[in-house]
Amino acid sequence: MKLKLSIKPILIPVLAITCLFSCTDLEIDETDSLISNDTSETGFTGVTNATSSLDNLYNKVGSDFQSQEQMYAMSEVASDALLVPTRGTDWGDNGVWRQMHTHTWRSDHVFITNAWNALNQNIYNATEIIETPDAGATVVAEAKFLRAFNMFFVMDFFGVVPFRQLNEGPAIDPSVLTRVEAYSFVEKDILEAIVDLPTVSPGVANTGTATQEAAQFLLAKLYLNSGVYNGTGTYASEDMQKVIDAVDAISTSGFAIEEGYFDIFEPTDDTETILFLRSEVGPRIWNTLHYNQNAPDNEGGGWNGFSTLAEFYDTFEGDANSNYVGDNQEERRGFVPDPTTANDQNIGIGYGFLINQQYDADGTPLTNRQGEPLIFTKEPTSLVGNTENQGTRVIKYHPYDPTADDNFNSFRQHQIIFRYADAHLMKAEAMLRMGTDATAMVNVLRQGRTNTPDLSSVTETEMLEERGRELFIEYWRRNDLVRFGQFSRPWSLKETTGNDAVNLYPIPATALLSNPNLTQNPGY
Amino acid sequence: MKITLLRSLVLLGAFLSFAFSQAQEVTGVVSDASGPLPGASVVEKGTTNGAQTDFDGNYSLTVGSNAVLVVSYIGYKSTEKQVNGNATVNFTLEEDAEALEEVVIIGYGSTTVKDATGSVAAVTSEDFNKGVISSPEQLIQGKAAGVQISQGSGEPGSGVAIRIRGTSSVRSNNNPLFVVDGVPLPSGGSSAEGTNIGVGSSSARNPLSFLNPNDIESMSVLKDASSTAIYGSRGANGVVIITTKSGKGGAQEGTWEFSSDVSMSTPANEFDLLNRQEFLATAAAFGGSAQDFGNDTDFQSLVTRNIASSNSNLAYSQNYGSGNVRATFNYGKQFGVVKKSSQERITGRINFSQRLLDDKLKLDLQSTLSRVNDEAPPLSGSAGSTGDLLGSAYSGNPTWPASATFNPGNRVNPVNLLNNFQSLTNTDRFLVNFSTGYDFTDELNVKATVGYDRAESTSEASLTANSFNLTRGAQGNGRGALNDLTNENRLFELTANFKKEFDNSALDVLGGFSYQDFNTKGRSVEGWGYNTTDMNQMARDLATSANGLESLITGSYQQYGYDGDNDLFVNRSFPNTVTDQLGVATIPVTSVFADTFDYTDELQSFFARVNYTIADKYLFTATVRADGSSKFGSNNQYGVFPSGAFAWKLSEEDFVGEAFSTLKLRVNYGITGNQDGLGYGRFVRRERYSTAASTGLSNISDSGELDAPGLTTVEFANQDLKWEETTQYGAGIDFGFNDDRFNGSVDVYRKETQDLLLNIEAAQPSPQPTFFQNLDAVVINQGVELVLNYDILQGDDYNWTVGLNVAYNDNEIQDFDGQIAAGTIRGAGLTNAFAQRLAGGQPLFSFYLREFLGFDDNGNPIHEGGTDNQKFVGKSALPDITGGFSTSARYKNWDTSVYFNGQFGNYIYNNTANAFFTGGAIGSGNNVTQDVAALAGVEGRFAEASVSTRFLEKGDFVRLQNASIGYNVPLSEDNFFKSMRLSLNGQNLFVITDYSGLDPEVSVSPAGPDLLNGLPIAGVDYSSFPRPRTYTLGFNLTF
Repeated sequence: MKLKLSIKPILIPVLAITCLFSCTDLEIDETDSLISNDTSETGFTGVTNATSSLDNLYNKVGSDFQSQEQMYAMSEVASDALLVPTRGTDWGDNGVWRQMHTHTWRSDHVFITNAWNALNQNIYNATEIIETPDAGATVVAEAKFLRAFNMFFVMDFFGVVPFRQLNEGPAIDPSVLTRVEAYSFVEKDILEAIVDLPTVSPGVANTGTATQEAAQFLLAKLYLNSGVYNGTGTYASEDMQKVIDAVDAISTSGFAIEEGYFDIFEPTDDTETILFLRSEVGPRIWNTLHYNQNAPDNEGGGWNGFSTLAEFYDTFEGDANSNYVGDNQEERRGFVPDPTTANDQNIGIGYGFLINQQYDADGTPLTNRQGEPLIFTKEPTSLVGNTENQGTRVIKYHPYDPTADDNFNSFRQHQIIFRYADAHLMKAEAMLRMGTDATAMVNVLRQGRTNTPDLSSVTETEMLEERGRELFIEYWRRNDLVRFGQFSRPWSLKETTGNDAVNLYPIPATALLSNPNLTQNPGY
Repeated sequence: MKITLLRSLVLLGAFLSFAFSQAQEVTGVVSDASGPLPGASVVEKGTTNGAQTDFDGNYSLTVGSNAVLVVSYIGYKSTEKQVNGNATVNFTLEEDAEALEEVVIIGYGSTTVKDATGSVAAVTSEDFNKGVISSPEQLIQGKAAGVQISQGSGEPGSGVAIRIRGTSSVRSNNNPLFVVDGVPLPSGGSSAEGTNIGVGSSSARNPLSFLNPNDIESMSVLKDASSTAIYGSRGANGVVIITTKSGKGGAQEGTWEFSSDVSMSTPANEFDLLNRQEFLATAAAFGGSAQDFGNDTDFQSLVTRNIASSNSNLAYSQNYGSGNVRATFNYGKQFGVVKKSSQERITGRINFSQRLLDDKLKLDLQSTLSRVNDEAPPLSGSAGSTGDLLGSAYSGNPTWPASATFNPGNRVNPVNLLNNFQSLTNTDRFLVNFSTGYDFTDELNVKATVGYDRAESTSEASLTANSFNLTRGAQGNGRGALNDLTNENRLFELTANFKKEFDNSALDVLGGFSYQDFNTKGRSVEGWGYNTTDMNQMARDLATSANGLESLITGSYQQYGYDGDNDLFVNRSFPNTVTDQLGVATIPVTSVFADTFDYTDELQSFFARVNYTIADKYLFTATVRADGSSKFGSNNQYGVFPSGAFAWKLSEEDFVGEAFSTLKLRVNYGITGNQDGLGYGRFVRRERYSTAASTGLSNISDSGELDAPGLTTVEFANQDLKWEETTQYGAGIDFGFNDDRFNGSVDVYRKETQDLLLNIEAAQPSPQPTFFQNLDAVVINQGVELVLNYDILQGDDYNWTVGLNVAYNDNEIQDFDGQIAAGTIRGAGLTNAFAQRLAGGQPLFSFYLREFLGFDDNGNPIHEGGTDNQKFVGKSALPDITGGFSTSARYKNWDTSVYFNGQFGNYIYNNTANAFFTGGAIGSGNNVTQDVAALAGVEGRFAEASVSTRFLEKGDFVRLQNASIGYNVPLSEDNFFKSMRLSLNGQNLFVITDYSGLDPEVSVSPAGPDLLNGLPIAGVDYSSFPRPRTYTLGFNLTF
């Protein structure tokens, strides 16, 4: 045909020449990011700079645990210590807080989904560091600690833990570790990490990264909850002894109970902090304060959200309906500054439990946004339809920061996650579970606090209450309630009773969909 | 990069430079009724032998003595004459009015309406929408059936969403491919998305603003796969081909055109907010009280305005026979009806066309240089609980003073925000396209095209230390951002076109190669802690600081940061990963953090099209394009996209009666692709120093401190990632009666989009929470399009025409097991709230809400199935029916036109009402509308306001989009001016709708990081920029 004759001689050379000069192999160049050398033959070849990746992982973990949502909500708002009532339109938030408090979450709850994703991503990133050939021993040990730390929470919240080898691309469904397997995995990681981690004495300079002491603490947590994780509900004496050994190892390094309860939460040296995270403490401050409670470094005042339940507040020593100085309250319940105690240092913002009339730094009574007196009532009356004033507020970190230039810094990255008082109580609880009287042990802690008379005896009930009083809103309440079999009991504004299925969160719906190896937890 | 465009071009030039020759001569003049015609083509019939008339209409040609000469010229009927041995043969051509309209620009060529096999809607400049046009899409809004064009807000320069035949993609861009004079534009924005400095993030500006609408000759919308498959992997959402005006229509001695208009815009609608007395009374009626600050301020009117804008064009065009040139200059400044919003546009364009070597060689140049300056007010689709400028103006207590220094304690004072915020974006863009075509034979033409497109954008935003109660630590410190973005894309194309007519058939073959690369680079700089509250000085200080720090750094880097307390840190990736500490610097801003990016995507394609016509009745078209993209790994780097179409001109058949002047049946099928929205290097494991950008926050904490970020893995290796693929079937009938005085077309289609590119949650553990995957699901779009035109009256002095286009589209996602939340709802108490879900068996943008049943005795809302029972409510943000109706009439020198558009079947979530207009809002001391005041005693003052059907409303509307009246001033023959025209135009004159918000044609478009699960949002109205009503007075002169 004529077509061939006329086109071919011209078109083919033209196309050939074009291709010679302009055809491309379409490979992307390394101009923007580091492109890995991984191939299907070599598999994962390691991250480029393990130290830098580890630094990023610390930042990531700190920021994940900074949020008032996700793990914090699942640990504290789901417990009897906190309630986020819907006040007018505020804090409706699509019902996420109501569902947390009433244990009516479903597998598509955004906090549960986000927690799953954040913790597991951290596990993956830690694994990348651990399996990098040229990573230093200490870097690998720190990554192992961080992997164990994140996996501990996945195991604690969800039971099973998914795991993916680094050579497994997105087409491969991650395998799933049972809770028992995950327990062993975490234990192995910690034990391997301890060998190469530094041992430190207390102090801000030492406790912001993984140490032998932090690893011992995590081990103690693991062993203390062994009865939960192995599903038997019984606590073997050898496991409890391991708790005691781990705590003893921490105290050998100089960690001890420190006097001056609320000072511990300042970013200064103390003997209690074993590990703090790179989390800004602002969310722990502003989520509970009213809009009109202001501070120099915050815009627009508090967020008027988180409050506690009367029954939790009532477990503390002191006047049940007031918390001003002189109400005979124990040190740990804190106080509300009034015209006589408000000053430039506390700027009118209290410590611990905030109830009744609130004041400004100069002692002026505060009002709410309707211009009515800002009087915090003891407890919200329902989940929705509350006024701005309802509920006792809880604050442990205070805007006051003695290390800041102007003494105020709500943004300091110093959220304590492992604390010696917790270790001390873990040892006491281990003794109790081994059949040893832990009363004296608990009273040693109480003697470190003021206005806390010795307890005459300590059973499980007192042990749980003491942990609540000492460690409120420090990430451990749900874990404690589950271990003491109390998580599913009814409390104020929560009707559900006796359904132990809530002791595990549901596997997120998106996770089930993306990984057929996962099966939903019972009851969901 | 391996390509060397210049070298290829030089080689090609060498190829083209050998010439052909012949002998013997005929001369003559070609003219029309008014004089000689330069540039007409004179060809010896049946040969390639031809010539072009010169400036004076003269031609000269060497032919055989029995030759037949054919003269043709666009816009005139072709004329034949026998030479018969004459040395002089003159021609007088008759105008052919219809021929002009009939040309339809398609991919890599043109066709006529009669011969088109695909579904193409062509709109030429005469039919463009008039008035204030900030972006070319608006020119054809409502003009083409099945093409839904909506500007999400009334803000000058805001983005425009175009959906051709429905919404077929989920995560990827759903906008069509734009091709300007042959250069496919990159899909991304040419300006940076705004960083959240305390008022929420903002989306990028409209990337097409750089084109002067007055320069556009025609816009072709390619709708079906047979038309778009020639663009292969970028054709799935349709293609819009923009052709700019050439100098073809200019006089030989040159024609000047000057046009200028001035327009007046007012907010078309406003909320009926309470004044001081009403506010205090309403607070009391709800059983509470509101704080009385003693004033009576109307914040809504304080932040909006009535404003005049102007636009002027000067154009020169000349057609000198062997070529033509057109040069234009445009200056316009459009002000928005919200204060501090404007868009200034300065463009220059030169289009040049030259024929050489006996007209065998044709050189074409189209080039434009533009500068667009955008000023944006503090508005954001992702504003937090206190709202942005409009949100705070709607909700602000009317007893507050209208003072910028008044601090209401925990809320945003809109006057304070307005005075302490500035956002300026400057975008320079240069787009040039140069092509060389050579006719090797009468049948074969080879054309090489080089295109270059560079957009450089700088945007700066500042929030001063005097601002109150926002976020990000601006108060008392000042916060700012500086974003530089450069997009550069280079195109090289080579096409060969072979046309041959046989006895009873015709063949038209096109083959080509195309290479295009897209480089994106720039920096995002954040600043915190300023010594000044002068916003221009703040912007300068941040630039000075960034440039000062950069001058201390040698070598390449990804990031640097400085926070006053610590050393300047530098994060480097190449040649080695290292973080350097460079000591203390002296800069005017306390804390600075910068992240840079630089990446290139490449696209390499081979394509071919064959048109074969038998007996001028049966038309066949087949196309195929193979696209290779650097966005995919070796397993799926190339995609092949074929299509085919058949048209049957039934009106040419004897068995069809004379009643039909046109009757044509068209069927088509094709596969097209989509890779937009995917981003760079998604298929390979990569590491970068992390930024907080993905969370929408910033790296400098609210206290001004910053930590050097570490490296993180940003992608999975995923060599299986591939193109999103749309299979489309369609059929249509074109018909015309009474010499096409009544004409129209009906089209039906079905599109199935599979392998949806979606950034879905990875099976954990994974390096990132989400990654791009080809989802095993199908999005179906099917519909019908109807176009009708009727010339009711036709006469020398008068005519009256009506036109109607209507499209129905049905959308559904199928075979999808998951449910992904989308459509973030914002406002106080609405954190984590969403209104839509992506799920199988539902249309895209399906609303997922609580069913609102009323209020209980305490005034709390009752929802079906409990407080938090969210479910699908059977309604979607996508319209079922879109359409336009236009009519125009002319009587002597007067003409008028009216144009309506409408949309039906869609629902809008009124996030504005949800966030600001409830009993709970007045209960917390915020201002509300009269509608809320009427709920006293029904809704409680402490009622929660969850996302529910209470705020879901029908979005049906009919809008009088455009009405104009024009007068052509009669001028005598010898007047210096050739024509003079005056016109008055009104835009958005009224809207008929039940929607209670300001305008039903809205949707928030927050920046990428603020999109829940990365899914786009449609049909959510959150304090959207009010749409203006605009009157424009214009005049045009040619001389």
